[in-house]
Amino acid sequence: MMILKMKKEDLPAFLESAKQWGELWGPTTKEEQTAYSKVDGLSQMDLKATRTMIPPKKFLYPPRFTMFDFDEEGFVERTGDVPKRILFGLHPCDIHGILIMDKLFLETYKDPYYAERREKTLLLGHSCIPDDKCMCFATNTDFVAEGFDLFFTDLKMFYLVWVGSSRGHDLVRMRADLFSRNLDKNDILNYTEYRKWKTAQFKAKIDLTGMPDIFELGYNSPVWDELAEKCLSCGQCSMVCPTCNCYNVVDEVELGTVEGTRDRFWDSCMFREYSVVAGGHNFRDKRADRLRLWYTHKLQAFIGEFGKPACVGCGRCVSTCPVDINVATVSKALKEQEVGK
Amino acid sequence: MKKLCVVLDEREVQDNPFQPDMWRIVRRYPLTSDVNFYQARPVDVDEALKMNYLPGQFIMLSIPGEGEAPFCISSTPSRPGLLEFCIRKMGTLTSSLFDLKENQTVGIRGPYGNSFPIDKMEGKDIMIVAGGMGVAPLRSLLLYILDNRDRFGKVTYLHGAKNPGEMLFREEFFQLKERDDLNCLLTVDKDDTGKWTERTGLITTLFKELGPIDSKNTYAAVCGPPIMYKFVMENLVKLGIPKHQILMTLERRMKCGVGKCGHCAIEYLYTCIDGPVFTYWDVLHMKELIGRGVSDKVIA
Amino acid sequence: MTKSSPKIGVYGFTGCAGDQLMILNCEDQIVDLFGATEIRSFVMAKSDNHEGELDVALVEGSISTEEQLKHLKEIRERSKILIAIGTCACWGGPQAMKLGDGKYEDRYKKVYGNAKITISKAFEAQPLDAFVKVDMKIPGCPIDKQEFLKSVSKLVAGKHPYLLKSPVCLECKWKENRCILLDGKFCAGPLTKGGCGAVCPSHNLPCVGCWGPTDDLNVSAEYNLLKEKGYDPEEIITKIRKFGGSGVVELVKDLEKKGAKK
Repeated sequence: MMILKMKKEDLPAFLESAKQWGELWGPTTKEEQTAYSKVDGLSQMDLKATRTMIPPKKFLYPPRFTMFDFDEEGFVERTGDVPKRILFGLHPCDIHGILIMDKLFLETYKDPYYAERREKTLLLGHSCIPDDKCMCFATNTDFVAEGFDLFFTDLKMFYLVWVGSSRGHDLVRMRADLFSRNLDKNDILNYTEYRKWKTAQFKAKIDLTGMPDIFELGYNSPVWDELAEKCLSCGQCSMVCPTCNCYNVVDEVELGTVEGTRDRFWDSCMFREYSVVAGGHNFRDKRADRLRLWYTHKLQAFIGEFGKPACVGCGRCVSTCPVDINVATVSKALKEQEVGK
Repeated sequence: MKKLCVVLDEREVQDNPFQPDMWRIVRRYPLTSDVNFYQARPVDVDEALKMNYLPGQFIMLSIPGEGEAPFCISSTPSRPGLLEFCIRKMGTLTSSLFDLKENQTVGIRGPYGNSFPIDKMEGKDIMIVAGGMGVAPLRSLLLYILDNRDRFGKVTYLHGAKNPGEMLFREEFFQLKERDDLNCLLTVDKDDTGKWTERTGLITTLFKELGPIDSKNTYAAVCGPPIMYKFVMENLVKLGIPKHQILMTLERRMKCGVGKCGHCAIEYLYTCIDGPVFTYWDVLHMKELIGRGVSDKVIA
Repeated sequence: MTKSSPKIGVYGFTGCAGDQLMILNCEDQIVDLFGATEIRSFVMAKSDNHEGELDVALVEGSISTEEQLKHLKEIRERSKILIAIGTCACWGGPQAMKLGDGKYEDRYKKVYGNAKITISKAFEAQPLDAFVKVDMKIPGCPIDKQEFLKSVSKLVAGKHPYLLKSPVCLECKWKENRCILLDGKFCAGPLTKGGCGAVCPSHNLPCVGCWGPTDDLNVSAEYNLLKEKGYDPEEIITKIRKFGGSGVVELVKDLEKKGAKK
């Protein structure tokens, strides 16, 4: 992969030129809450924030959107009204999350809505500062080698910039004067030092090895019932998880007509309605069954299917769940057969 | 010998897998008090022969404004041009479909799912076990086999219903009973008419009439209410049919049919793309599937 | 349009009439609404009312007197579909927050003493479905304009309305609000049916539960969480019951059986 070098003070100028490609979006912080927002430039962004509450999946797969317009004659696809966007400041876990979404939405039966947004979005990664909730070291997602158009690693004075795609390279070429191909010994030393530093930042204690077998062994464990007693069934975990892809579909009708829209919106398997079939039978009526499905899917099933967990260790469930049910506590409870306080 | 249907891979894949095409209901009649039978063909007649499917696959049916849900196909691809399906009045969408009249249109997309493994079943003896609504997908398989009769060995069809009035496709099966290349056994739990000429009792009682079977050379296909699986599986395993040759087709809530919406997940599998046809061996690994009672019986 | 406009009646019982007011407040769509339907009776909106067969009855408020009960049953008899609108009609509303405590007579005496009430015999307020079959509940305090119009649009088109069954938290996350519970505030979001667009949390105000209980609420989990955060058990239960009405009576009883202090 092509790796270039850029002076840190040149970043605003680079982003300014990149805006010719599309809208610039980046992490902004308001009242201690970080979210991706549309920005004019670097000055509005908060690159020190560890995580946004809602992952960048919201750009590729919005919480609610219209799939079709319909009338009595049939359904007409609604695509084409998506703006071109540049997302700046994605962390390695975010990009790993998108790579998992790509697998779900772009392989076998390509989802045209996701594909269109993916096509119109450039992903510009940025190195991060892990906090005590980050678990990416345990999911092998603390660094990323693919999936981005550009990736900026902050080495204090300089950025090392990985060029991950032809389109990323096009952005570089718009301001080729800001980038240099001449990397020297110091850059290698600095980068090695950076990796060492990052790896030393992780404080969370989590070990996900052997999880598929532990889930299999623990299928009937009372731990699930104990967790279910605590679970609020609020579904926040699914909304904030970068790999939760579930959705519901509802038709809406225009008043006084038979015309309307078929809308698609984020759903959660934590909700009772999720598995109800016609006639009212529910395949997962118990809250414990729904919790088990969620975590089985993240830490067991996906590994069987794709060889890696569907958890990218971003820590969003850790920082969101009001009753401390998250990847760290559930895997620990299952291993130790005890729900921690 | 030329096959009567095209395999899935050859069909054109639409750009938008969620796009329903409009189909017209050309025939509708009641099968029982709460189940209707429908025949549909594409509004655009040129599309009629493009719908290639295999027994066991399903379609997503929409009524614009009401919504969309999966339904299994009851017709056979060996009689192309039409799709047939059965609908029981249960939820909001099904009750709207139930009220559809002939000549009205519905949205249809598909076919989806893995289908029965016809290639593997060819040359083998076939045993089909249908209970209640379970006949809906199995009728597709049975008719397909009968239309390609010389490609299969002995064919046995077992069908159970609550009472004569609740037996779907009753007249059709009485006609099929007359064929000498099919062993067709029908039973009802209870005869409330006094005119029933076939067997009475649970579907498992039919197993006693089977006589010797070449179990290792047999594929069984089962569909019915959960309670039925429990006893039927036990009987099939006792007969010596290998677990990977016992096929079941499952129902789940679905919003997409193509592995995106997540609703039909069973542990690590999606009913829509990994199923809806699973082998009993698959099922034994899915603790969540149809209650733990099923697997315990066979494992112990 | 092939279908004739559905005949609709709008009625109000014990409540603040806020839901009827919200219907009238559908400024942009009110003309369409009156055009697409035949409003046979709507006492709050017009004087020319006809009481006869209805396709849809929209009924607001809880039932708290014999006279209301008689009227409700009469509406039910001549309506194909009866829809409870607003939390009072769906769950009883705040006037039903003591539902099932068996102390209605005491409370009645405390307020009215020995005064002779001559109009109609009163009883503890209860939601419509305590007395008649309710085909659908559109809760809210008041109902949400959009949710109401979407439902009516579907009914007019001969389709089944769809209401979100998930809690307030779903839309709250879509709006990227920080969870108020994390900051130790009393938010009833997880217990409360969504569809309101998470208005209050979006203004940094905790959800008070005014849409009534959601499809699948875990009352004891919320109770334990809030107790841990230092809330008084009695206050927690009072707040849960405030808009929960008939929807939480049994759940709170279970909670108290499990040892929660009343």
